This record gives sequence, structure tokens and C-alpha cells, in this order.
Amino acid sequence: MQRAKASPAKRTLGALKGFFSKPANVILIVFLVALCFLTLYPLILLVGETFTVHAGREARATDQLVGAFTTYHFDKLLFTLNDGGPQGFTLSNSWIQFYEPLMNTLAVSVTASFIAILFGGTVAWLVTRTDMKYKKFVSAVFVFPYIMPSWTLALFWQTFFRNTLVGTGTANGILAAVFGVYMPEWFVYGYFPISMVLGLHYAPFAYILIGGILRNMDANLEEAATILKTPRSRILRRITLPIVRPAMLSTLLLVFASSMSAYAVPVFLGSPVRYYVLSTKMMSLMNTYPGQGYIIAAVMILFGVAILAFNQKVTGSRKSYTTVTGKSGQVSLIKLKKANRPIAVALLVLMLLVAVLPLLSFALESVTIKAGNYSLDNMTLEFWIGRDLDYLDQGDSNGILLSPKIWRALGYSLLLAVTCSLVAGTCGVLVGYGIARRRGSRLANAVNALSFFPYLMPSLAFGAIYLAMSTRIPLLHGFVLLALIGSVKYLPFASRSGVGAMLQLSGEIEEAAVIVGVPWWKRMARILFPIQKSSFLSGYLLPMVSCMRELSLFVLLVPTSNTILTTMLMQYSEKGWAQFGNAINLLIIAVVLLINLLVNKLTGASIDKGIGG
Amino acid sequence: MKKLVALLLAALLMLSGSAALANVADEVALGEAMTHEELLEKALAEEGSFVVYGNTSRIATALEEFTALYGIAGEANNLKDAEIYIKLETEMSGGAKGADMVMIQDGASLKSQALEMGYLVNFVPASVKDSVGEEDLNPLVQQYINKVFIWNNLGDNAPAITNVWQLTEPQMKGNVIFKNPESEQVNMNFLVMLTSPEWSDKLAQAYESLYGTPIDLSGYENAGYKWIAEFLSNCTFGNSDTTIAEDISQESAQGKIGLFVLSKLRSSSVYTDNLTVGQYKATEEGTAIEPFSGFMYPMYAMVTSNASRPYTAMLFIEYLMTSEGFAPWGKSIGAYSTNTQVVPNEGDLGIDVWKQTLVMEDPDYILDAYEDVYSFVLKYLQ
Amino acid sequence: MPEIILRHVTKRFGKTAAVDDLNMVIEDNAFITLLGPSGCGKTTTLRMIAGLETPTEGEIWIGGEKVFSSQDNTNVPPNKRDVGFLFQNYALWPHMTVRQNIAFGLENLKWDKARIAARVEELTKMLKIQEYLERYPSELSGGQQQRVAIARTLAPGPKVLFMDEPLSNLDAKLRTEMRAELKRLHVDTDSTFVYVTHDQLEAMTLSSKVCLMEKGVLQQYAPPLTMYLEPENLFVADFMGSPTMNFIPGRVAAVEGKKVALHMLGAQLSFQAREALPSLPQEVVVGVRPEFITLNQGGGLPGKVYSTLPAGMETTVRVSVADSMVTSVVFGGIDYPVDSPVNLGFTGENMLLFDPQSGKRLAMGSL
Repeated sequence: MQRAKASPAKRTLGALKGFFSKPANVILIVFLVALCFLTLYPLILLVGETFTVHAGREARATDQLVGAFTTYHFDKLLFTLNDGGPQGFTLSNSWIQFYEPLMNTLAVSVTASFIAILFGGTVAWLVTRTDMKYKKFVSAVFVFPYIMPSWTLALFWQTFFRNTLVGTGTANGILAAVFGVYMPEWFVYGYFPISMVLGLHYAPFAYILIGGILRNMDANLEEAATILKTPRSRILRRITLPIVRPAMLSTLLLVFASSMSAYAVPVFLGSPVRYYVLSTKMMSLMNTYPGQGYIIAAVMILFGVAILAFNQKVTGSRKSYTTVTGKSGQVSLIKLKKANRPIAVALLVLMLLVAVLPLLSFALESVTIKAGNYSLDNMTLEFWIGRDLDYLDQGDSNGILLSPKIWRALGYSLLLAVTCSLVAGTCGVLVGYGIARRRGSRLANAVNALSFFPYLMPSLAFGAIYLAMSTRIPLLHGFVLLALIGSVKYLPFASRSGVGAMLQLSGEIEEAAVIVGVPWWKRMARILFPIQKSSFLSGYLLPMVSCMRELSLFVLLVPTSNTILTTMLMQYSEKGWAQFGNAINLLIIAVVLLINLLVNKLTGASIDKGIGG
Repeated sequence: MKKLVALLLAALLMLSGSAALANVADEVALGEAMTHEELLEKALAEEGSFVVYGNTSRIATALEEFTALYGIAGEANNLKDAEIYIKLETEMSGGAKGADMVMIQDGASLKSQALEMGYLVNFVPASVKDSVGEEDLNPLVQQYINKVFIWNNLGDNAPAITNVWQLTEPQMKGNVIFKNPESEQVNMNFLVMLTSPEWSDKLAQAYESLYGTPIDLSGYENAGYKWIAEFLSNCTFGNSDTTIAEDISQESAQGKIGLFVLSKLRSSSVYTDNLTVGQYKATEEGTAIEPFSGFMYPMYAMVTSNASRPYTAMLFIEYLMTSEGFAPWGKSIGAYSTNTQVVPNEGDLGIDVWKQTLVMEDPDYILDAYEDVYSFVLKYLQ
Repeated sequence: MPEIILRHVTKRFGKTAAVDDLNMVIEDNAFITLLGPSGCGKTTTLRMIAGLETPTEGEIWIGGEKVFSSQDNTNVPPNKRDVGFLFQNYALWPHMTVRQNIAFGLENLKWDKARIAARVEELTKMLKIQEYLERYPSELSGGQQQRVAIARTLAPGPKVLFMDEPLSNLDAKLRTEMRAELKRLHVDTDSTFVYVTHDQLEAMTLSSKVCLMEKGVLQQYAPPLTMYLEPENLFVADFMGSPTMNFIPGRVAAVEGKKVALHMLGAQLSFQAREALPSLPQEVVVGVRPEFITLNQGGGLPGKVYSTLPAGMETTVRVSVADSMVTSVVFGGIDYPVDSPVNLGFTGENMLLFDPQSGKRLAMGSL
């Protein structure tokens, strides 16, 4: 028997041992270190790049050796406010290359966020809180725009609305050709359609986030007000809205961050009318003056950080991951009465316009030989099932269903999506566990913020940093690189649903197993995971879907353009090979829907049930 | 951690980078002296995957034919030029194995971002040395591709220009379609070349011959800058050369003219009959579009300095220089082999005619003038 | 057989101490209740003993084995402490049937199949849930779920059973029923029970000893009747018993041996202490249980009935005396008319004097 007091060193050691004997702590520490390395370290590299001379035009412009230190990029991009142009500042290099695109980016992102919230939020409310008809259909179809790569929606917008009075003024789209309706230029190109397309693309996000809260909201809150004879509108304004405000705010910030990094949509809808945003500028600078491109990436990330800080400040770390849970399962649905049918039909029509019509248009464009001519003799299935199509000069010699290139890319896309979803999903469960168990501790808060951070990093900028990082770490290239960045980028989806699901489980559920000595992994596998299966699976599904349709993140990193379907699709879109492009797009959407359906049938999870639901 | 990474890097550089660099250059020097048979023998002896990057989609077809001929399989990757330069840099500095051989455009970037960095090694096959012009040997140009003025010939307002200054006239506003030079380097290179002494002089002369008065530069540095400014102000930008070709060929596109890749005329989605190629018309009528009817840029074929199969790469380059190797591009108009032994494509003009009527790249001038012209061009992209 | 010893156990969350320097011995085979208002640290204490929570400081021994010590970093995991834990919300695993719920822990302890089946049989029979074996928890009523939870907890045969407000989710009738069952179970299983509740009645009726806590500090640890009749301080006196004890302000007029002359309720009363008195402050609080105040027709302090609450077996009467209000409980159902005059009397030896400043009990005796 040792009676002497233990030495301080031994006590510290013991405390550490005690600390690490809890799986939650181990998880949090591991993720803290890993996330620092995967998000903060690349940031440092990125900042380094903004002060480095790169080969090519930069070396000529600075008259310095490659790799030397320089402030040229900053001088040129941010502080060339009057370079002798005829109109001074408004035609200065910095205004053209940075400040104006920045303004446009902010305008587009803010507008897109509001459109997403307004549209997604309204639909979420209608579906969860009213007795509206056709809910199931609306709910299922509403996620379509999110599944489509966003720029294909932009291409749809273009093919549908363009006419000889706008843009290049050469051809009429469906609306003008078939119905004789000529939309004005502001409607077809530039600020408005870019915001609209992004807003519609991310509206399902608002639907998922806000719908999740509304679905779980304690009906008593509204009922209490009803009893006090509060008018409906007032309930909505004073009770419902404040409750979903945190979700609305997170949607706003998420959509804002995503829109900011959208690159392909402004290329297609902006450049014909010379409307530039940061992401398009970054892409073209990356080819010629990468130092300046990296500065734009850094600025985008700065916005991401600001957004995160703002989110933390406004919602507070406490509220940021508590969902309003109510166990009073009875939700009284608001009766729309006479308005039911008109609202339902209006929504259905809208749904058809934004979700189904694009699909039809893609299908039509994929069989039309010469654009704009929709007669039967101008149609062919060659682009789907043809062989020896070299004479078409459209990038592939076989229809997409017979093309080994396509199948290879599809296989790679699927492999990548599945890998990312497995890694991100599993990490999300673990992070969720760690954060829920150590809720409120500084460590948990740090990991929570860090795991959310990748989401706010604009994909394009994130890709750019990983590119920079890959030049320094030999093993980091090819599939490993893609899988890593995909997993990190979509970890927030998984960790959000992980945290949400874990917080809904009382600690007692696990402790009941601790008491009988069930080891940690077995508690996870046999108790916690099965109980919240559908939530966790959503955490797997969302990264997978997002990966399947992701472009910006991978575009700089894929070994070659035809490695995965989206980069291949983008290449086809850029080269103007519309038929193959549209066919590939349909293929992507079909595959994602199939996966969703399969997972849904097998497990009950689905994307539209979403995050933390 | 940092130390570890640095050590690993150093080790890898020693193993693959620097060692391979010396090796490939040596092998290429040896290869240049070899006959076709010797090259083939060496190539057949090589092992591992053979990877090609090309910013033309037809390289895949060429490689298939190559495989059929020699039984050497390979993987062709179609990438944008900018992507290839980025990849070369990341792969070389990261010590990763990438391509053995690349086919690439944009001479200015080639020079400053690949050749000067030692990423690529020039190889001239002994068998074609004498049938390729001196100016196309170093770096070796496999073919040229041209972008020319092509207009919609329907209606009575067809913009059948004979002088490029006509494109700057007020009535052409919105009727000239071009791909945004910011999104394709060769378009930018073309604009840069116009500011060179040679082309600005020619533009000044063309101005005088059209309007009968000497050009008034009114603040522009030279006639090239003036033309660029006024041309870009009249332009609308298309997303790709394919869509530009398709769009201008529409019945509804009367009065439109574009500057895009000639080869797009083969595309099944284009109404070819509705289009007139400026230079063809000029040649028929025995006139010319003053002072140029478009521009032409080279497609280079080179061995990478970290090639694991340098002899296969050399053999493939040699193949690409032959009629068979050029065949995937030789079926229709718009591509021009530098090998005089290769018969020009049917229905097209010979490379010599084009070289005289089109603006050609001069990488050195482009690199020198790039920053100034780029800043200038940006103002007219607004 | 286990005896549980807590020495200087402290648990801090950040800067606030949830449990502060707790010392306690739980005798073998006892039925102990940890009682107190919510947030007093009782659940934390229970969880620390079970090993679900790590104390910041102190030592815990179970059955002669040191299971926790902040000094030498001993920390035996919960499953090695041979304890069972019954959770407030039952914590049944919703994706397992009743049978699986009970058997899962046993499988984990590597019991063989036959033995598990026998044990499940035995327990479900004892708790009268054998017909629900293949049902899922969501298909059971609250009372049935509670029984399943108990069966699951008892399954491995723990020597110590911890219960965290296990009856708080049941309706009043079922709760009374389950209380009786639990008390029976205590005898049948022959183990030590540690029970957390905020319900003083539950603590009174169930336990062999009550540990009352407030703000992490132990107030009194004694058998229930002692707690009721001889509370150590105002908090304990106030917490135990319903209706609550009357606290009547009084002024000490004179002290003479064990006799104190008190000025209270507008009258001069004499307090006879049982033991020798400490020095008294000028102002005191006199604690009188309602049942020690009698209502008489003649003699005693004059008062007026404020309200009457007859409950059948007894009647609670609020009486205003001078400018104070006192509560009396009298046997039988008598409906006193409101505002009718009554006279108050004091019986018994369990009148208490408290120091209003420290809250400490100063003396016990009769009025």
C-alpha cells in the first residue's frame, strides 16, 4: 500500500490516461488534429502562394526567379486603382479584375440565398405544416435541382429563354421558337438568371434545413397561440419564423458560400453579357497569373471564415446544433381549405418548371442533331446508342450508353462518391458522437467549428489549395487526393446529421450498455447506429449525391477531364457538344435518383429527409 | 512533420525527378539519331503504362491506330491546355508519374511554363527532319490549327468583309462573335500578336487602304491596340467555338460573323451551307481580307522529362508526323500537318497559303508584351 | 457484500461545484435515497458512484475495493463495479425486442444461451412481463416499459442497484404500485439500492436512510423519521413533509436553564428544551409541524380560520393568528367555516428552534 501522495507528473499522466480512456475524447482530439492539418495547413500554404513568383508570365512580369518572394500579385490585383486607362478607376486593373467581380459575387450570392430561402422555406412550410395535396410528389421532385449539376440548369435556362434579341443574338430558344415569347436581356443573361439558377439549385437546401426544424417543431407552440385566438399570419410571424430563424440563417450562409464559389453558372450565363464574378476571374487568372488567382481564393475563404464567425455569433454555439425537438408526435396541420387546390396546383406547375422541364429539355437536346430545330427528322438516338460517330466530331465515337469512356468515368465517379460518402459519413457519425458526448466543452466546440469550416470554403478555392498542397506531399495525388478533398468538403453534411442524431439520443441509451460492459465499438455498431440509422444514412447519402454532381471542387484536381462524369460533362458543355453533354447529365441524374431510391427503399433514409432530421 | 515531408520530397526528387530528367534528355538525344526500326525496337522493349496528354480530342483516335499498328497500348487524355500546364507543374514538382508525351497548344506558355522549367524535351524524328520547315522544328510543331472569319451568308446583309477594319464599324456592333479571350489562351495570344510592330504596321496600312486616310491613333499606342479596342467593343462572346459555329449557321443569325475554328464546319450540328469562309471566298475571287483572315496556332508534340517510356513517346511523335498519324485530323478541313510529305486535306487550302494570310504566334513577343496587352484587353472585355 | 464509501468526493463542472466534498457511507443491504431539489447534485453523485461520471476529487470504495481515487488515478470502469443502473427514461433500446433488451447485456457477459434464456424467463416472470417478450418498447405502456427496464437492470444480478428517478414518468397510481414493488424487490434481490428522487414522500416511504442535498452540499444523512422530526436545519425541515412545517418568527425574551420565554404570535409562550441550550440569538424561528398544532374550542391562542382543505382522512386548516398565518393538520374530515374563531394549541416534544441567520437547529423541545 502506497500512502505517499503521487507526484504532479504522475497525476498529469494519470489525468491524461483518464482523459483518453473516454472514446469521445480520443475522437475529438484525433479530429482536431486531422482537421487542423486538412483545413488550416492548406490555408497557410495558400497564403504562401500569394507571395510567390510562379513560372511563366509572373516570372516575366516581376523579372524575378520562380519561387522568389513578391508582393506583385497584391499590387496588381488589389492596388492598381488607376493604371492610366481612359476612365481612371472604373477601368483600372483592380476594379476590372477584383472589385467589380467582388461586388457582382456578393450581389449574386445574397440574391441567390434569399431566393433559396423564400422558395425552399415556403415549400418546406407547406409540406410540413399544412394539409396541402400532392405533398409526396412535391417533396420527392423538389430535390431534383440539387441533384443536377448547377450549370446544367444554367444551360437549360439559356436554351429555354435565349432569343435573337439578346446575347450573341443568333438563335431562338424553345420559348421564342415555339411560343414567340422574347425575354429581355436582363432576364436571360447576367445578374438575374445567375441568381435565379443558383437560388433554385440551392432551394432544396433550405427545404431540407428548414423543413427539418418545422417537422420536429413542437406543435404545442403553435397550438398554444391558436388557443389564444392569435391570427394565423401572426402565428407565422411571431412564433414559427423565430423558431426557424437559426435554420434560415444557416441556410442563408450556406447558400451564400456555395453561390460564391459557383463557377460554371456565371460562365454560361454571365460571360455573354460580360458579367464577371470572382470565381470566373479566379479560373482565368489561375492559367496566367496564379498568384492573383490564389489571392481571390484567399478572399473567398476570408468570406467563409467571416460567415462562420457571424453564424457562431448570431446563433451562438449553444443554439447552433440544437434542434427544437418535440415529443408530442401529434402535429396539427393547418387547413388550407379553399386555397388548397390552387396552391397545390400552382406549386406543381412551378415544380414542373424548375425540376421536370429541365429534364425534358435535356432529353430533347440529347437527341436533336442541329440545335433549335425540333422536327423529327432532325432527331436521332445516335448520341445514346450509336457507334462509329467520329464523323459527328463531338468528342466521342460511341453513343454514351455504348462508350467505354463514359462507363469508365461513371465507374470512377461512383467509386469516388461512395468512398467520400463512406469516409465522410463515418467520420460524421464519430464527430457527432464526440461532440454530443462532450457537448459544450471547448474541445467539442472547436471540432464542431472546424468540421463545419470546409463547407464554407468555396469549392474552387478549396480545390486550389489542395492542388498547392499536393505539390508538397508526394502521396497526395490521383484518387487519394480526390477522395480526401471530397470527404473533407462534405464532412459538414455528415457531421451535422451525426451531431443532430446523437443529440437526439439521450446519454442513458449508451450508458445502459456501458453498465453491462459493452465495449465502445459494439455500442456504436449495435446500439447507437441502428437506432438513428436513417439520420446517419442521410449523413452518408448527402455527401454521395453532392460528390456525384460536384464540379468546382474536383475540376483542378482530376487526373484528366474524362476521369469523372462531371468534369467530362463540363468539358463537353464547354466545347459545345450539347447532345452528349445533355445525355451525360441525364445519366448523372438518373444514377443519383436510383441510388436515392435504392437507399430509401432499403433503409428509409432519403435526401429530402435531410440533415439532422 | 515539415522535416519529414521535405526529406521525402528530396528523396523522391533524387529518385525520379533529377535522375529522370538527365536520362530522358539523353535518351531523346540518342533517339534523334535513330532510324524508325531502331526506335521501334527500343519502344517495344519498354514496360509500364504509356500515357499521353493532349488538348485535342482526336489524339485518342490517333493512339488507337498507333496501338493497332505497333501493338503498343496507351492511355490518351484529353485536357485543356491550361490544365496540362498545371498538371505538368504539379506532377513534376510532386514527383508523380504523369504523361510520357504531350500534345499541346499555346506557344507562350509552352516556352515559359514547360520548356524553361525543363518539363518537356524536344524531339525531332530523323525520318521527318528534312520534310518539316526549319521554323517548326524547335519546338516541334505537329500541326497547325486555324481560326478564321466565317459569316452567315443568308439575307442581303451578309457581312462579307474584305478588310478587318470593317469589323470595327458601328453597324457591326453586336454582330461579331468571338470566344472570350480570357477563357482561351490562343485567342489572347492572337490579340497580343496584333500589337507587334509587324502586325500593327500591316493594320495601319489596311486602315489607309480601306478609308483612304492615314490612321488616327487618337491615344492608342499603335494600330494593333486601336483595332483590338474597337473589335472587342463590337464583339459578343460565345461559350465555345462549337456553339459559335452552330449559332452563326442558324437561319436566324443573318448578318453575323465569327472568328472561330475552321474545323467546326465539319460538325453535324452546324448548317454548313449557311456559312461562308472569308479566306475561301477571297481565294476564289483572287483577293484577300486585309491584312489577315484569321489566325493560326501550332500544336506541339513533345516528350516529358519524367517519361517512363521515352522511346514509345518518340515513336508516337514520329507516328504523328506521318500521313497515317495525321489521319484523324486529315479527314476534313482546318488542320495542317507541318510535314510537307503529308497531302493537304481535301477541300482546304494548303498550309503555305494560310501561313501568309493568318496571324502566327511568336512566343517571345507574346511573353514580352503579354502583361501590357492583357491589361489593355481587360478594359474592353468590360 | 458491498458497502459504499464516499470520501471528499467533489465534482466540478467548470467553476461550479455540482457536488462539494461529499462524505457518506452506504451500508450493505441498505435502501438509500438521494433526495433534493433539481440541480442539487444527487444524480451526479449517483452517476459518480456508478462510474458514469468521473469525480474531480475524492475517493470512492465499493465492497472494500477502491474504485475511484483522484490521488492515484484509480478509475474502475462501470462494468467492473458490479452495479446495475435504472435510468429515469428507462433507456430501453428501441430497436430491440423486450427479450433482446434483457439478453443483450448477458450475451455481452458471455453467458451461454441456455443460461440467458433461463434468466430472461425468471425475470420476466418475476416482473409479470412474460407475454411481451417479442414486443418492441414502443409497443408497451409506460409501466410495462419500466418493468422491462428493471428486468434488464437486474439481469446480470448486480450487488448494487442504482436508480435515477425511475418512477417520475409514471402516473400517480402506477407510481404507488411500483413503489411497493421496488420495496419488495429490495428484499427479494438481497442487494443494496441507491435511489435518486426529488419527491420527499418517496424518500420517506421507501428508504432506510435518506441523504438530502442542496447545491452540491450534503444537508443531512439519516433515517427518514429522524429527518422528519429532527431536521438539522431550516432547509431540511422545509423540504421534508407535506404540508410543510410552520416557521414562526419569535423573539427570545428570557432564558432560564432549559426554559426559554418566547414572544411569538402576539403572545408570550414558554419553550422547554430537551437538552442543554446553546446561547440563543435574539431572533429565532420556531418550527412546528402542522400535525402538532391542535385546534380547540376553548383555551390557547385565539385565531381565525382562513381556509379549510378537508381530504377525508385529515383536514388541513390555514389559520391566521395575530399577523401571521399557520397551518394545522387535524385528524378526520371537519369542515371549519371560513372566518370562524378557533384556539390554537401545541402538542408533543418536537418543536424546533432555528437560527434564522445560519439556518441551523438550536434546540428541540415542547411549547
